Amino acid sequence: MTDAAETANVHSKKRVPIKEGFLTTPLSDLREAKLQGSRCASCGEVFLGIQHGCQSCGATGMETVVLSNRGKLYSYTVLRNRPPGNYMGPDPFVPFAVGLIELPEGIRVISPLTHCNLDSLHVNMDVELALDRLYEDEEGSEVIAFSFRPE
Amino acid sequence: MREVVIAGVGLHPCGRFGDKPYVDMGREAVAAALKDAGIAWSEVQAAYCARMYLPATSGARILKTLGMTGIPIADVEAACASGAVALSQAYMAIASGFYDVVLAFGVEKMPRGFMDPSAIYEDWQIRMGLAVNPMYWAIAAKRHMADYGATALQMAKVSVKNHKNARTNPYAMYRREVSVEEVLSSRMVCDPITLLMVCAPNEGAAAAIVCSAEFARKHSARPVQVAACVPRTSLYPWFRAPAAYVSARPNPPSVTTRAAREAYEMAGIGPQDLDLVELQDTDACSEIIASEELGLCPVGEGGRLVDEGISEIGGRLPINPSGGLLSNGEPIGASHLRQIAETVWQLRGEAGERQVEGARVGLCHVVGAGGNAAVTILKR
Repeated sequence: MTDAAETANVHSKKRVPIKEGFLTTPLSDLREAKLQGSRCASCGEVFLGIQHGCQSCGATGMETVVLSNRGKLYSYTVLRNRPPGNYMGPDPFVPFAVGLIELPEGIRVISPLTHCNLDSLHVNMDVELALDRLYEDEEGSEVIAFSFRPE
Repeated sequence: MREVVIAGVGLHPCGRFGDKPYVDMGREAVAAALKDAGIAWSEVQAAYCARMYLPATSGARILKTLGMTGIPIADVEAACASGAVALSQAYMAIASGFYDVVLAFGVEKMPRGFMDPSAIYEDWQIRMGLAVNPMYWAIAAKRHMADYGATALQMAKVSVKNHKNARTNPYAMYRREVSVEEVLSSRMVCDPITLLMVCAPNEGAAAAIVCSAEFARKHSARPVQVAACVPRTSLYPWFRAPAAYVSARPNPPSVTTRAAREAYEMAGIGPQDLDLVELQDTDACSEIIASEELGLCPVGEGGRLVDEGISEIGGRLPINPSGGLLSNGEPIGASHLRQIAETVWQLRGEAGERQVEGARVGLCHVVGAGGNAAVTILKR
């Protein structure tokens, strides 16, 4: 992934999120965009992205919430082999860390950890959201993926 | 509800068999189970085939080679618990009195290495590099280490134990002993999980002839009772493939714990009554965590079972005497029924050099994608 600050200054290309509903809009300034989720109006459980029903209690009343861009590293690992299928990361493959990030809204999100030293990661460390261009799609739009980085 | 027994079991070895068709592998396992039960194919009234990566109507394609008898044949799939769902269908059909003899079997033929991610993950997860099954095991392991002090050494010892158990299992894929040093120094897959701590997706087939106790008395000399067969799915949240997020609130009991509690209640026993356990060691730390979730030891003490030799053959509660998934691999559709075949042999005293002396009660456990898990308890 390229550096967030660098891609933030490129406005000429259309930007789309890696999955519709995962990020706030607009994406013109990636330092301002955040992860987006849904909160169940009945039980309060929070999910990533747009949800039409609650996986916890089954209620259908869901409200959109903006998720904090700071969290704690609940746990993590390092992927030492190229992930299978149509992985869009660097080629040749570079090992990278994946974490389970606990956010104050009461959700833990699985996310790549970027801009970090693989040997300095530890459980409970403070991390913050980083949005970067992952690849360019068939229409020439920049596809924006999320990751977290040590604060 | 009627008493349900397993009258016979059969296995095709686990491993990789090149161009050998899955139809042949499945037929061999079914034929072995029929022979073991002393029951003719024409007496079987229904069949359930567990498979995940094989084509539609695999069950019917396999069983037609034994003669098309016109019985209902259905393929079932519940990821790693597929075989338990096939067994559960047979169990319910017989317990209810609807049938007297049902075949539950599983077969799988999978490509080497990572499984096709598009079968379970969304496209964005694959593109971001998050469609990696061992990633979930490793993240769970890392947290278990932080919370309870589980160690990579304990995980290595689990792998050493299971590989040692498989030495004399003719159906296992890997029958070579490994040392702690070898396990720890094998290639890192996802920290702290090394190559010799993960199971291989592979090929195999397993079959069980399930019937009423009354029918078995007339045919089989060595029936083993199915005291409970409980497939379940998880409540929210579920931290295994293909989850993208989980709740940070206090979690409800895991699907393994819920299935186990129901199975113990159904069987009228507790974990202290078990003589052996075959559980889902997709990776070495999963054996430690599943031991705790099944109530075999207090939470956080799963590592002690291997440290103190409790889970060895000859210990107080042998775990994975067959060698587990670490040695047999995971031919997904066949996996639970492979555990069942091993446990039936153990309870009949026919497990050879890996026999658990005097075994009377055994538990089989699987857990996997989509929040699926199952616990089956067998008794003699």
